Amino acid sequence: MDFEKVRSIIAKQLDIDPNTITPSSNLIDDLHADSLDIVELVMDMEQEFDVEIPDEVLPNIKTVGDVVGYLSK
Amino acid sequence: MKLALDAMGGDHAPQAVVEGALLALDKLDTDVSICLYGQEDRIKACLDGKTYPADRLSICHCEEVIGCDEAPAVAVRRKKNSSMVMAAKAVADGEADCFISAGSTGAVLSCGTLVIRRIKGVQRPALAPLIPNLQGSHTMIIDAGANVDCKPLYLTQFAQMGSAYMELVEGIREPAVGLLNNGEEAEKGNELSKETYPLLQNLAGIHFVGNCEARELMSGDFDVVVTDGFAGNVLLKSTEGTAKAVTAMLKTELMGSLRGTIGAAIAKPAFTALKKKMDYTEVGGAPLLGVNGGVIKAHGSSNAKAFYNAILQADRLVRFGVTDKIASAVQAEEV
Repeated sequence: MDFEKVRSIIAKQLDIDPNTITPSSNLIDDLHADSLDIVELVMDMEQEFDVEIPDEVLPNIKTVGDVVGYLSK
Repeated sequence: MKLALDAMGGDHAPQAVVEGALLALDKLDTDVSICLYGQEDRIKACLDGKTYPADRLSICHCEEVIGCDEAPAVAVRRKKNSSMVMAAKAVADGEADCFISAGSTGAVLSCGTLVIRRIKGVQRPALAPLIPNLQGSHTMIIDAGANVDCKPLYLTQFAQMGSAYMELVEGIREPAVGLLNNGEEAEKGNELSKETYPLLQNLAGIHFVGNCEARELMSGDFDVVVTDGFAGNVLLKSTEGTAKAVTAMLKTELMGSLRGTIGAAIAKPAFTALKKKMDYTEVGGAPLLGVNGGVIKAHGSSNAKAFYNAILQADRLVRFGVTDKIASAVQAEEV
């Protein structure tokens, strides 16, 4: 359920087809997000899921699956 | 048109912001209204005893204030009810057309980038202050500090964004674009400038005139000087510092002798005119270009006159459609 939501946020932010996004997609290498895209994505996730994502966890979030994993904690 | 002012930003807030807003309301068309974001009781205290068009001035109470000592991106993400974030959010939500703040530069940039967000296709928004030049007009430095590390594509977009602003707001036809470099020749420079040069040469819709050496910044030969935010910030600060040092040296020399003092008294009108030309409060603020709406960063020590001019600048930025022009320039190049 969360994956779908995360996928649509990422697709919208990066302006890409949602179908190209899988849990194993690497945000930077596969989806070509840059540092600013990542910060914007984090803000979108925080707002959508009403959570605070601390900066310390960002280096550990590399794939779409990592995002979903963190949010479902 | 609605302008959103961060009433709590700057050394003289909220007094200077409120006074600047009242001066501007007097001057601007009646279709322009202003909303002051900040601590209501303090704003109201500044309005006490003043006459103003109440239908064009509103207050949006925000308890929190982002200080200059806070980490910008964190403050913007965590202090959602601060005057700065709320004013920026008004632009993001389409309730206001331009956001003006004299608060922490980093926080204003973060608000523009993270709250209002980039125009589709824009890689990086850029801070673009205007400095006086020898032709009696202004030269824009873009980027003056929003992005310390840049790629060639960022710089070509800065050229498009700066040209759009100078053409629409300053009324310059085909603004002359220069690339800041350590020499005039095309092959000069570091990797970034060498890669950017041919891209600017081939970029449709801008008038690229070649490399600009730092000493030519104020010559008036360039309307837009494109650079990365690191070099741009060094350029801006060294220009300010040089002007300050020369003024101080001149003062010491003139006041050191009777002859100098008499000479200075006679030349006083010339000094006054020079001071006005170099006065930052006359320019307004530095626009942050490339985001989905107007953002003006006013000088931290802005007084009422500086805010007044920043508000008039915001009015022109919105009225002349700078954001739309940047969007169409950048998106045309993308295709």
